Amino acid sequence: MLSKIWKEAFRQPLWFYPFVALAIFGTGVGLYRLVVGLGPTTNLNDGYPWGIWIGFDLFMVAFSGGAFTLATIVYIFQIEELHKAMRLTVLTGLLGYLSVLAILAFDLGRWDRAYHFVIYPNINSALFEVSWCIAIYSTILITEFSPVLFHKLGWDRALAFVKRITIPLVIAGASLSTLHQSSLGSMFLVMSHRLHPLWYSPFVSLLFFVSAIAAGMATIVCATTLSFVTFKRSLDQRIIAELSSYLPWALGFYWVLRLGELLGAGEFALIWSSGNYSLLFLGEVVLFGVAPMVLFSMRSIRMNRWASFLSGQVVLFGVLLNRFNTTWLGFLPVEGYQYTPSWMEVAIQAGVLAATVVVYSLAAHYLPLFEDEHHQAQPVMAKS
Amino acid sequence: MENHAVLVDLSKCIGCRGCQVACKQWQDLPGLKTQNTGSYQNPPRRNAKTYMLIEFHELEKANQVQWVFAKRQCMHCNEPACASACTVGALIKREDGPVVYDTEKCIGCRYCMYACPFGVPMFEWDKEFSLVSKCNFCVDRLDSGEQPSCTKTCPPGALKYGTREAMLDVAYNRIYTNPGKYIKHVYGEREVGGTSWLYISSVPFEDLGFPKLPERSDVELSHTVMHLTPTIAGGMALALSGLYWVINRRRQAEKLAAESTKESHDAK
Repeated sequence: MLSKIWKEAFRQPLWFYPFVALAIFGTGVGLYRLVVGLGPTTNLNDGYPWGIWIGFDLFMVAFSGGAFTLATIVYIFQIEELHKAMRLTVLTGLLGYLSVLAILAFDLGRWDRAYHFVIYPNINSALFEVSWCIAIYSTILITEFSPVLFHKLGWDRALAFVKRITIPLVIAGASLSTLHQSSLGSMFLVMSHRLHPLWYSPFVSLLFFVSAIAAGMATIVCATTLSFVTFKRSLDQRIIAELSSYLPWALGFYWVLRLGELLGAGEFALIWSSGNYSLLFLGEVVLFGVAPMVLFSMRSIRMNRWASFLSGQVVLFGVLLNRFNTTWLGFLPVEGYQYTPSWMEVAIQAGVLAATVVVYSLAAHYLPLFEDEHHQAQPVMAKS
Repeated sequence: MENHAVLVDLSKCIGCRGCQVACKQWQDLPGLKTQNTGSYQNPPRRNAKTYMLIEFHELEKANQVQWVFAKRQCMHCNEPACASACTVGALIKREDGPVVYDTEKCIGCRYCMYACPFGVPMFEWDKEFSLVSKCNFCVDRLDSGEQPSCTKTCPPGALKYGTREAMLDVAYNRIYTNPGKYIKHVYGEREVGGTSWLYISSVPFEDLGFPKLPERSDVELSHTVMHLTPTIAGGMALALSGLYWVINRRRQAEKLAAESTKESHDAK
């Protein structure tokens, strides 16, 4: 067994090894951070107590929104053509959430007390609600993904059981996602004194929820393309095109809400009169709005693997910029404090992301992520 | 118990920093190495080991430099955003005024630091296992019938402790019996829903770096939304279940219809 693993370890594609190295290095720096504390390792300070880790965490949660979005489309609306993308997307979501939890462990001042959110509840706290939802939802994602493992292991009874509870699982997952995706936004409701009005909004919860759906769709598009390129295994492009045709609608709805709020609050002029903040905002308008809306409206783009991959990347960069703006760049300055991430912060973040890529790549390589391949061999797993 | 408050009369403060020393002594906080920054303000900023700080402001008034000293610490809000934000409920507003902090619960997530409109909670960056820290109104002293160590110490009587109502009376009394001396604003009376620390001053609060804040605390909106979210999620679950049922039934009906037409076709 060990020798087999050892043999397989050298049979990965070339790009795999730098990621492994980065993951190991990042984990090492992360362990150092856990031992010596946040002060010596990060550039965080009393004026900017949150840095790129929190920005990335918020991005990763939105990025992982693909899982509940697709589950709802496939199982509730029963658009079966998209069923083939389910396992890949659930895995993407699951790994996304695990990376969020890993980074949170590095970020907490008392990571050894992480379980306190279970025993000392504060129902008024958005972060309390987010913690609970993410904990439960990760469990749901694991359960949703378990058939892949059960199939590999040949545990037919467990497989049949999970299959029976699929619909309740999907509904619970979508409801929990509605909660925590929006509650991540609610976190900023108490920050009107610190967050620039271009990002502070009474509807920030709804904005976070809608942007997570859009980002999730982009994730599905990009993830399927990547697995095609690296492993020559992916979905029919028509399926991806079908899904991405909804993207302009989600993005459009988002911007109607966001610009409408600014208009209603009489803050519309801030869009061009806020100096650097204006640039950051317009960056979002382009990356998370205009550009992908135009691109994904074109059938020729949607039907082209590379074009839709790049367009999906634009959406993801857009939502990344939005989460960074909301947690860092869009903050009003505090006298005497500045923040740019330290190299160790970057290394830990890069390490966690690299580890995610490593696990993802291994799973895509060894697990039946695309149902076509074992359709005949596994009648239990036929379309629901 | 009635809400208590401290009234700070900035016009009376002489910048002796007796309160700062008393705070360090009572709270058993270590001193910090002095940094020369061109000001008597020391340390330059509040930090995890300095719950309160006398700020030295050099203002220009009628072509003359005027020194104004401002004691800054936790404002002990009536509707504290930190307590609302805290994931584990480690921050709690007591009926008699103080916003207290349970070091045994805190997980060091630092959400309170952003939630606080006054930027009060500070983090122990130099520790391996670190928490936030802030002024606790000397609750141990209050509980034994004493007043906070800073108000007890203040030599010129710039700090006064009592019920919030009484302190507001004193504040307005001073403003109106000394026309022209004070600006007509009790800082903390209405800011973010009112605070248990109240300030009167002879110079505008903006010039002293006090944030200009709305009367409504963000906490109200946040609570409204937070208490609404479970309902929305429940609604979502119901709606999705309903949708699934409807769509599933229709699809099954379609399937049946297709089968029966096929059967009748076969029978012919």
